[in-house]
Amino acid sequence: MAAAHTPETSWRESATGYLFLAPWLIGFFGLTLGPALVSLYLSFTDYDLLSNPRWVGAANYVRIATSDPKFSAAMHVTFLYVALSVPLKLAFALLVAMMLNRGLRGLPLYRAIFYLPSLIGASVAVSVLWRQVFSGDGLLNQALKLVGIHGPSWISNPDTALYTLVALAVWQFGSPMIIFLAGLRQIPKDVYEAAEIDGASRSQQFWRITLPLLTPVLFFNLVVQTIDAFKAFTPAFIISGGTGGPIDSTLFYTLYLYQEAFAYFRMGYASALAWVLVVIIAVFTALSFLTSRYWVHYDG
Amino acid sequence: MVDLAGQDGVTPPRDGRRRALLYHVVLCLASIAMLYPLLWMLASSFKPDSDIFGDASLWPRHFSLAAYWRGWSGLQVTFGRFFLNSLVVSLCSVVGNVMSCSLAAYAFARLKFRGQKFWFALMLGTLMLPYHVTLIPQYILFLNLDWVDTFLPLIVPKFLAVDAFFIFLLVQFFRSIPRELDEAAMIDGCGPWRIYWIVILPLSIPALATAAIFTFIWTWDDFFGPLIYLNDMNSYTVQLGLRSFVDSTGKSDWGALFAMSTLTLLPLFVFFLFFQRLLIDGIATTGLKG
Repeated sequence: MAAAHTPETSWRESATGYLFLAPWLIGFFGLTLGPALVSLYLSFTDYDLLSNPRWVGAANYVRIATSDPKFSAAMHVTFLYVALSVPLKLAFALLVAMMLNRGLRGLPLYRAIFYLPSLIGASVAVSVLWRQVFSGDGLLNQALKLVGIHGPSWISNPDTALYTLVALAVWQFGSPMIIFLAGLRQIPKDVYEAAEIDGASRSQQFWRITLPLLTPVLFFNLVVQTIDAFKAFTPAFIISGGTGGPIDSTLFYTLYLYQEAFAYFRMGYASALAWVLVVIIAVFTALSFLTSRYWVHYDG
Repeated sequence: MVDLAGQDGVTPPRDGRRRALLYHVVLCLASIAMLYPLLWMLASSFKPDSDIFGDASLWPRHFSLAAYWRGWSGLQVTFGRFFLNSLVVSLCSVVGNVMSCSLAAYAFARLKFRGQKFWFALMLGTLMLPYHVTLIPQYILFLNLDWVDTFLPLIVPKFLAVDAFFIFLLVQFFRSIPRELDEAAMIDGCGPWRIYWIVILPLSIPALATAAIFTFIWTWDDFFGPLIYLNDMNSYTVQLGLRSFVDSTGKSDWGALFAMSTLTLLPLFVFFLFFQRLLIDGIATTGLKG
């Protein structure tokens, strides 16, 4: 693009370009790049908002790595949540997408119903509802009582609290489902017809045709949903009343970061936590991209 | 894909129809399971408190609006105030996002300037950056500007195209508009501003609407931003109002809690009802998440 400039037009054209870009440029420097650099600096300091930041070198990172039980708890909870919720969510999304991809009547209605929870899932109201559904005398236990099971109080039991949040995430399988559905539409029908003539069974068709041809979409969904799961906040905050309890069993990483920053005003330490999260997400994303060439097929 | 087994005669068509029926049954049951908690919440908001836990049925035996009255004015500030605040923040965010993102997208998709590729790459790079990294310095910045407890920290970033995802979406869309239209307008004497305004924007209504609707829904739903920046109950959004309501009533008044939860979801349901097609197409083609 740059090579096409002639001297007399380029100045005016460039000026116009930068005028159109001005809001974004201000935002980029003032709200993204600037703050990112500041937070990198703060992560090497001790800062409580009131007195000046005090340089402490790598002390924050050392503490994170060696002597912060809350950090370990948050990592444990977050990784467990990601490792359980993402595969389950994607499995449901794919299963339902495949069932819907058969020219059934009423498809738009089904699609809308399955998508609805994804749309509203981030709101406080849904977290409030979830807290009720899984409470001691909540909807789930009322249903279990009908079949004679006396359920525990899922939310206040540290052994089960996290799984209620996993269930909430899986309930929102709608948006990856829509993307799978769009991907399934791209697979040419004649591939299946040919396989049928060759006598391939349905499960062979799935493993040999559908899944390989869907790997780019699967890859996309996996990366997006994983990053999303690492960032989850509202459900854990609402369901645990902001504590991450019982006994840190729902202390999501973002919730711990929030507590350090805005409950204890340890801004330096929280900045270091933020950078650790960035590194974790970056490492995961890089790994996905690196391994993708072994399992993602781009040439149909 | 239609059911192939029925089509090419390998299996008799009756088998295909039976299979379709089976799918319908499974999907119907799954739909009910998906929607049951929401319907139950809706039903419970119309039940007297004594019936909420005694009775898991969806139809209230005694229909009552009392929970709505209790909930609406259950805090020192009524929910009307929270709704108004949320509406202001959400609408301003929509205007800000659509304006600033479309300007930037037009520059990237249609104009030529030095360093274009460089800035475009940086813009894409910001898509990957989790907001946690900028969170604390942004907070300190807004605190020093004395913007805490105003809506400015929630609105101003939207006018500065901070949601790069929408820039990307609009760039993709603008590129699909034939360049001949720009050239024709240029021959008619239009400059870049007029081309942007009378050619590109009117032709991009579907993409702009997708950006606007998702901005509205996400801002309406946003809990984290208001949680950090709004401390005074008079400036609370509905999400914060609902949270305070949970804290103040605890477990005592589920009816009122469900009534207010239903109300905060209402705008989302309305959007869903009217723009379902657009939302679903937006997800399918761009990967926007709901």
